[in-house]
Amino acid sequence: MSAQRVALWAAEPDLDDDINDVDIPLTIPSYQNADLYDDPNLQLDESALLAAQAQIAQQTALAQLPDVVKRFIVHFHQAVLDNNLPEITLAYESGWNRLTEKFYARTEWPEAEIIAPLVNDDQIFLILYRELYYRHVYSRLQPDIDDRFHSYENSCELFNYLLNSDGGPVPLSLPPQWLWDIIDEFIYQFQSFALYRSRPANKTDEELTMLGSEGGAQAWSSYSVLNVLYSLIQKSRVNEWLKARAEGKTEEEIDEIVGEYGTKPLYRQLGYFSLIGLLRVHVLLGDFTLALKVMDNAGLGLCVGEKAPFTAPTAAHVSTAYHAGVCYLMLRRFTDAARVFTGCLNWVMRARQYHTRSYQYDQINKTADRMYALLALCQTLAPTRLDDNVTNAVREKYGEQMTRMGRGEEGLGTFEEIFLYACPKFITANPPPYDDPNALALLINPPTPTSPTSPTATSGTLAITDPTQRHLRALSAHYLALSPVPTLRSLLKLYTSLDARKLTGFLDAGVDDEEVLSWMMVMKNAGRCVGRVRGAAGADKDEKIGASAANGGSTGSSLLDGEWMSISDLNFVIDENMIHIAESTVGRRYAGWFIRNSEHAARVLDGLRASPLPVSLTPPGARTQGKGGESKGDTSKDTAPRTSGQKVAWSKIV
Amino acid sequence: MTSATSEWLTPSTRTELIENLVSGVDRYNPSNVGILEDYLYHQIRSEEYDCLANLAILKLYQFNSDLYNPDVVVNILLKALTAEPFPDFDLCTSLLDDRPVNVNPDEPDPLPVLLPILTNLYNLLHQCRFPAFWTFYHSDELESLRENYIVECVGFEEAVREVAARAVKATFTRIGLDRLGTYVDLSGLELESWIEKQGWSLDTSTRTISIPSNPDNEIESVVIRENVKLGQLQKVIAHAAQIR
Repeated sequence: MSAQRVALWAAEPDLDDDINDVDIPLTIPSYQNADLYDDPNLQLDESALLAAQAQIAQQTALAQLPDVVKRFIVHFHQAVLDNNLPEITLAYESGWNRLTEKFYARTEWPEAEIIAPLVNDDQIFLILYRELYYRHVYSRLQPDIDDRFHSYENSCELFNYLLNSDGGPVPLSLPPQWLWDIIDEFIYQFQSFALYRSRPANKTDEELTMLGSEGGAQAWSSYSVLNVLYSLIQKSRVNEWLKARAEGKTEEEIDEIVGEYGTKPLYRQLGYFSLIGLLRVHVLLGDFTLALKVMDNAGLGLCVGEKAPFTAPTAAHVSTAYHAGVCYLMLRRFTDAARVFTGCLNWVMRARQYHTRSYQYDQINKTADRMYALLALCQTLAPTRLDDNVTNAVREKYGEQMTRMGRGEEGLGTFEEIFLYACPKFITANPPPYDDPNALALLINPPTPTSPTSPTATSGTLAITDPTQRHLRALSAHYLALSPVPTLRSLLKLYTSLDARKLTGFLDAGVDDEEVLSWMMVMKNAGRCVGRVRGAAGADKDEKIGASAANGGSTGSSLLDGEWMSISDLNFVIDENMIHIAESTVGRRYAGWFIRNSEHAARVLDGLRASPLPVSLTPPGARTQGKGGESKGDTSKDTAPRTSGQKVAWSKIV
Repeated sequence: MTSATSEWLTPSTRTELIENLVSGVDRYNPSNVGILEDYLYHQIRSEEYDCLANLAILKLYQFNSDLYNPDVVVNILLKALTAEPFPDFDLCTSLLDDRPVNVNPDEPDPLPVLLPILTNLYNLLHQCRFPAFWTFYHSDELESLRENYIVECVGFEEAVREVAARAVKATFTRIGLDRLGTYVDLSGLELESWIEKQGWSLDTSTRTISIPSNPDNEIESVVIRENVKLGQLQKVIAHAAQIR
C-alpha cells in the first residue's frame, strides 16, 4: 500500500504548459505509525483512523488535480511570498481566469484543504485562495447556506489579519484590481445574503435552524460589514490623506498625517475602495444622504471631470458613478444625477476598447446599461440638454419608452418598469425573526386582514415588503405629481399670455380652475431643482440652463451642497388670473464651427506656402504666381515645366 | 451667498455635540439614540428643524429594532412634511424598514395606520393641492393624529403655511384674497395679519395681494446666444494679420 502511495506523488508526466521548470516542493508526509496498520490484532484508534482516511482522500484529490493547476498554485504562492507585484497581477488576472475557463467553468475549484500541501499550509495564502474560491462559487454557481457562512468567516479572517495583526501593517502587496475585487465581492456577498435571508419561505429545516442560531444571526450582520469598512478607512486614514492632498501638503507632511498604515499602498488603496464600498452599502440600505456624505473628500472623480487620486480600476469609477447618480436621483436632484451619469458614460464609451478582459467587461457594460435607463428617467422628470453622444445613445435605447412616459399618467407603468430594471437591489437591515418560529410562521402566512380599526390589526402583523417597492413608490409619486406638466407645456408654448380660465377650457372636461392652478404651481416647482454649481470653467450646461445660481461651490464643498437652479426653458408667472409666459430659446451656435474651420484653412495655407516651389525653366508666360506649387501631383519633379497649363492666380485671402 | 442647501445640511441651531454625532461613527452607537431623540423634541418645541439628525435616528432604528419608538417616527415625519420642496419626507420613508411583529398587544403600533395618512398629506402638499390638504387635515380621520401629535408640534400649521407661501411666491405676481385664504386656511383679520407678516401688500378694494418680485416670479424672454470671446478668435485674427 505504501508503495502505491509513493508512486502517486512521484508521478510527473510531461507538460505542455509554460511554467516548465518550477521546483515543486512536494512534501511526502511521513506516517510514523505506518507499520501499525499491518498488525491486524492491534486496537486502532478510531479518530486516528478517520484522520488518516481523510488525509488519504485529500492526497488522492490533490493527485487528481491537473498539473497545470498545481503548477499555477505554486507559482502564484511564490509570487505572493515575494511580493512580486507584476507576477501576482499576471497570475491573478490572466492565469486564474484561464484555468477557470479550462477546468472549472461549471464546478468549484479544489478546496483550500486539498491544495494546502502545495503551499506548505501557508495560512495567509489559503485565506486569499479561499477568497477567490468563494468568489467563483458566488459568480458561477449557486452558493448554499454553508458556503455563505464559510465565506463570511473567511472574509472576517482576512480583514482580521489585515487590521489586527501584531506588529503593524502586514508585509503583503497585492494589485489594486484584486483589492477592489475583495471589497466589491465582500459587499456583493453581503447583499446576496441579505436578499437570501429576507425570503423565509421555501427554506429547508436545516437552513432555518442555522439561520435562527446564534452564529446565524451574527453572520453578515449590517454592523459587522459597516465595522469592517469603517475600520479600513480609519486605519489607513484615507480621509485625512485626501484632505491633505487637496490642501497641497508636501510628501513628508502627508506621511506624518497618515501614519504607518496609511503610507503603505495596500492600506491606502483598501481605504479608498472602502469609501466607495460605504457609498454602495448606504445606498443599498436606503440612506442616500449619508452615502453622498461619505464621499465628500474623495469627490466623484473621473465622472465629473475631476482627477482621481490614483489609478483605480475602471469598475471602481463606474460603481461610484452609478451609486452617486442613484443618490442624486432619489434626492430629486436630477441635473446632478444626469451630469454624473453622462460623465461616466462618456468615459466608458471612450475607454471601452481597453477593457475587453474577463468578467469585468460584462459587469461594466451591465452597469452602463442601467445608467442609460436611469438617465432616461432623469430626462423625463427634468428635461435638460445633455452631451450629444450620450443623448443619442439614450434615445436609441429608450426613445419609445420616453415618448410613452411623456404622456402623463399612462406612462406610469413604463416608468416603474425602467426603475425596477435599473435600480440597485435594495436590502433591509434586519432579518426576519428566524429565532422565533411562531413569529416567522406569521410572517410567511399573514392572517387575513380584518377591518383597519379593529385592535388586532394594529398589533402589527406586516407582510414582508420589498424595500425596492418603497423607494419606487416615492419616485412614482413624484412622477405622478408631474404628470400634467407635459400637456401644460405644449399648451403654454403657443401663447405669450393666456387667461387661466381659458386654459381650463382647453384641458379635459372635469378639471376645474383650482386644480389647474395647482398644476401650474407644480409645474413651477418642477422647473427648479437643486444642483451643484461648479466654477465658471466647464459650466457649459449652466449657460443653456439659464441658471440663477451664484458663484460655484469650491472643491472643498460637500457633495450635498447645491443651489436652486431653473431647468425649464418655459417660464411663466400668474397675475391673478392671467398667465404670462416667456420662453427662452437657445440661439444657434456657429462660431465654434467657423473658428475651427478657419484655423484648419490657415494651417493648410501655411503648409502650402512652406512647401518648396517647383523650379520652372520656361518663359514667364507659363510661370505660376509664386504663392505655391500648384500641381497635379508631382511637385517633386523639377524637370517637367508646365508650358501649357492654366495660369493660376492666387487672390488675397481676406 | 450661502447655498440653498447649507442651512439644510448644517443648521445653525445644531450644537457641536449633535454635529459630532451626525458626522462621525458614534451615530451607530445605540446608546446615543437618547441624545438624538431629545434633540428632536427640542426641535419640535422650538420650531427648529434638522433633517440629517432625524435621519440618524431613523437609521439607528433600522439597525436596532428594539429601540423603535413610533411616536418619534411620527414626529420626524411631521417635521419632514414641512420641509417641502426638499425631498425630506421621501428620505425618511426610505429608512423605514419593516417592523418586526409586535408582540405587545397593550401598546399597538400606530405607525401602520398613520403612515398612509401622512403619505397622503405629503402627496397633497407635493401636488400643491392646498385647499384639499386643509380639508383632509380637519377631517375626522385625522383626529387622533391631531390630538396626539400635532398639538405637541409647535408651529406645525405655520410651517405648512410657509410651504404654501413658497409655492405661491414662485408662481404669482398677484393673487386673489379669497383664493389665498383657501391655500393657507385663514380668513378675515387673521389672513390680513399673516399677509402683512409675509411682507406682501394687500389692496382691499380689488381684494388682491401683490407679491414682491423674487427670482422666481420675474420672467423675461431670454435668447441664449453664444458669447464669442476675443481669445477664441485670436488665432484666426493673428494669422490673417501675418498674411502679406
